[in-house]
Amino acid sequence: MSMLEYRRFSSLEDALRFLSERPDAKIVAGGTDLVVQMRMGKLKPSTVADIRGIMELRGIRESDEGLEIGALTTIEEIRESSLVERLAPPLWEAAQEFATWQIRNMGTIGGNLCNASPAADTAPPLMVLGARVRTARLGGGRTIPIEEFFRGPGETILEKGELLTHVHIPRPGDSEGHAFQRLGRRVAHILSIVSAAAAVGVEDGRIGWVRVALGSVAPTPVRARTVERELTGKTPSRDLIKSASEKVLNDIKPISDVRASAEYRRAMSVVLVRRVLEKALRRAGA
Amino acid sequence: MSSSLIEVQREEFSILDSWLKAREFIVVGKSVRRVDSLEKVLGRARYVEDYLVEGMTYARIVKSSVPHGLIESISPGEASSHPDFIDLITAEDVPGQNQVGYYISDQPALAEGKVRFHGEPVALVVARKPESAELLRSMVEVRVKPLPAVFDPLEAMKDQVIIHEEVGSNVVIKTHIGKGDAEKALEESDYVVENEYRMGYQDHAYIEPEGVLAIPKDGEYTVIAPAQYPHLAQLISARVLGVPQSKVRVIQPMIGGAFGGKDDMGPILAAQAVVAAHKTGKPVLLTYSREDSFTSHCKRDPAIIYYKSGASKEGRLTAVQVRIIFDAGAYANRGPFTLWRATAHASGPYEVPNVDSRGFLVYTNKVYQGSFRGFGNPQVQFAAERQMDELAEKLGIDPLEFRLMNILKPGSRTCTNQLLDHSVGIGEALRRVAEASGWREKRRRYGRIENGKARGIGVACAWHGISTSRGVPDWCNAYINVAKDGSVSVYTGIVEFGQGSHTGILQIVSEALGIPVEKINLIGGTSDAPDTGATHGSRGLSFGGTAALIAATKIRKAVQRVAARSFGCSPDDVELRDGWVYCRRDPEKRMRWEEAVKACYLQGEEMSATGYFFMPKERFDEKKGQGQAYVVFSYMAIITEVEVDVETGLTRVLKVWPALCAGRIINPELAKGQVDGAILQGLGYMLLEEIKVEDGRILNPAFTDYLVPTIMDLPEIMDPIYVEDYFKYGPMGAKGLAEMALIPMAPAIGNAIKHAVGVSPREVPYPAEKLYMDLRRVRGG
Repeated sequence: MSMLEYRRFSSLEDALRFLSERPDAKIVAGGTDLVVQMRMGKLKPSTVADIRGIMELRGIRESDEGLEIGALTTIEEIRESSLVERLAPPLWEAAQEFATWQIRNMGTIGGNLCNASPAADTAPPLMVLGARVRTARLGGGRTIPIEEFFRGPGETILEKGELLTHVHIPRPGDSEGHAFQRLGRRVAHILSIVSAAAAVGVEDGRIGWVRVALGSVAPTPVRARTVERELTGKTPSRDLIKSASEKVLNDIKPISDVRASAEYRRAMSVVLVRRVLEKALRRAGA
Repeated sequence: MSSSLIEVQREEFSILDSWLKAREFIVVGKSVRRVDSLEKVLGRARYVEDYLVEGMTYARIVKSSVPHGLIESISPGEASSHPDFIDLITAEDVPGQNQVGYYISDQPALAEGKVRFHGEPVALVVARKPESAELLRSMVEVRVKPLPAVFDPLEAMKDQVIIHEEVGSNVVIKTHIGKGDAEKALEESDYVVENEYRMGYQDHAYIEPEGVLAIPKDGEYTVIAPAQYPHLAQLISARVLGVPQSKVRVIQPMIGGAFGGKDDMGPILAAQAVVAAHKTGKPVLLTYSREDSFTSHCKRDPAIIYYKSGASKEGRLTAVQVRIIFDAGAYANRGPFTLWRATAHASGPYEVPNVDSRGFLVYTNKVYQGSFRGFGNPQVQFAAERQMDELAEKLGIDPLEFRLMNILKPGSRTCTNQLLDHSVGIGEALRRVAEASGWREKRRRYGRIENGKARGIGVACAWHGISTSRGVPDWCNAYINVAKDGSVSVYTGIVEFGQGSHTGILQIVSEALGIPVEKINLIGGTSDAPDTGATHGSRGLSFGGTAALIAATKIRKAVQRVAARSFGCSPDDVELRDGWVYCRRDPEKRMRWEEAVKACYLQGEEMSATGYFFMPKERFDEKKGQGQAYVVFSYMAIITEVEVDVETGLTRVLKVWPALCAGRIINPELAKGQVDGAILQGLGYMLLEEIKVEDGRILNPAFTDYLVPTIMDLPEIMDPIYVEDYFKYGPMGAKGLAEMALIPMAPAIGNAIKHAVGVSPREVPYPAEKLYMDLRRVRGG
């Protein structure tokens, strides 16, 4: 019979020390992914380290460079934050439609990222915002761009004994516009079939820079670099956005599953990219 | 109807008739607060898992992971060395007959010799703790030698793989109704439309999954069972135990939704649990997890329907020819009856002179079908109502107008040639709902794409025979006892599972006795009550209420007799109201209800009564497929307004206008609750709910990917229009209503989608992706 060892931490250092000694321990914060996966028999950890009590990893604050969000901040806290609404609008938009109230109260942004689901709704917004994530391990840590964080479904660059601690989001400029949209099979409480986020900086009536990212259409959340290249430096128009959106098919590799076929996901990626670009440009004043 | 029945039930007929003619009601027709609401709100209501019994043990099912195969061995494996392990229960432990088949004896309580679907219960593991039961079942070793399996009903009809050797063919039942010569009439019709329709499973998705607590004591068994027919759960439990039915007592706990599913699963789980209780000698709580419920409990029958219908250029229906294939899954269960109902409702609520409707119930190696709100009818009404729109389009007539030209009315004959002599309000319902929704104007204005979105408005009708079909005997009963202090107990077999029947029955008794609802205690859903039949077929209040009304009126008459003697007036002049018994002509002559009851006790008037009523039925000729299909039908008309996102295929139902013909509405608020709930469940059936099966295995046995509507999907539902087309054998004229609004929802949405964007849905469910793909095909690109 299998027994589960459950450990609870309130200090980051204690947690890191434990994780360095017990590299196979699964980390749990909100438990909204881990517990479900254990129940379905997909994961059978022998040790679980509960880090939810580490208060220093919780909270949203404005920093010199922008926004710092602790990994244990719940999605509901993000959803209710006027700071996030002002400084990271697409992340705030993603939090509005995220799962259910109960799950938002338990689930954390760090958990959403570390679970590394291709459908993680916080990932595309963070990618277009140019966010970086900070990690910690015994005697060190690193800061890396969010795009380099994911390696595959359920896989991140985190090494054994390493914890995600914070998300840093740079302060947006004045002539920037952002948008996030998701497509689910019903109105609410649903996993996305496709999600998309866009951020665009308008300079002298042209698209100075643009970032587009999607979820649920590749093994990891992805940037749509072909779309971005197609747009950069050009004067926005309805036709340009339409033709650029169609290029997203070069950036994605969707699969067919119980939720949708690859074909439908491809078609919807084009629609969503166009919609978020239109919205972001409108918000940027273009 | 036999003349002896008229003679024997003379008093009952006269009671029902007198209430039908009553002009004024005190409690009936009012939105009385449901009697179970307070205990539910306070969290005091006890569901099956809330019953705690000394020495209780916990059981879980061990399931087949093979869709078809021969069982070689079942052993506890490592489970037996676990400290919490109590026992492993298999078919060998069944002391009586291992048989839970509803109509055809093809279904074991626990698999015996063979497994026939992925998820079939092969054993029960009994443990000291619930969490251990969950763990232990994964340790049980089941060895099965796989057999070739068949999943597609059309493939199964070829009989290359036989699922039930004892039946000999996978086509287990064939049905037929009809009249005239449909083939010839179709050849001669000016317009003909022919299509194939397909429907998938729908899961009941009740908030409370299945569970039963069985308590053995000295050779007798108490079974706490969320079952829709306590006496059936009692009968089947007794059968598997091999004991007299009277040795089993069934009690209903509070039930977290049923929708028909617990009509089947109540008795099946009761049978499984009593076997475990018998063998271990301990109280056993058997529960299905949500995943078990998805993989192993019955669902709405998947169907393939070929439908050909014709009309004259004047707009009259000429003929319908229908072939219905119901995918039974591994066991026949309710299939013979859901299929018959589908076959007999195939024309829709219209006058059609030539009808040929045939059905085939086919075994496959998948989870089996069962009772579910609508009971075979939503599938066939979808086809019938989509056909009506397509025919109207060919004719160039407004689809609502076309329906009105053919709608059933008093004096019409149905597709089984049954004469409808009264209680047919559908025409008026259709006219009123058209007016309320602004049908004509929206029909003209919608159907255009603006900013990537298009609106549409669609209509659909339904008819639904109440209670059991044909000559299947049907009765109801209730027992009422008035205590010396004037308080009243009502015993009914009707089960309360959220629909409000108990409140409705209390209102009827309260009306008949002229005392407040609070003075009456209802003991329902138990085998201690007289056998009242099942709470299904929308008969809970309509038939259960009839019995309660008859019993209460017998007591009312006794009180009237005694009071009349005291007042010196005629018993007919004695009124019972607000706790008073008085002389109508001289209201000064009065006494309290309690005094009148006391007087009855002293003067030899019985203060208890039963309300047995045997439903008078006319003949149905099975050979010809003609005759009385049902004693009465309820009717529904629904108009829906949708908005389709043309780029994504997402459909939002914006507004719904329901109109219902269910005779007298006993409690408008409860009726509205049923209409609203059924609309949302029908919306889920059409747009969201899909069981995905691969090689017989359900791929989405959880709410993550089996999508029921949330409150965010709720459209604006208008207050129902009630056309009160009284039914002569219903209590104060009431008919059934709880199933009604679900039945036309899918085609009403389908017809609205067609109006919005021009694609013609022929499948249920019809989620965004399907609509998108169809749209792309139609529009090219």
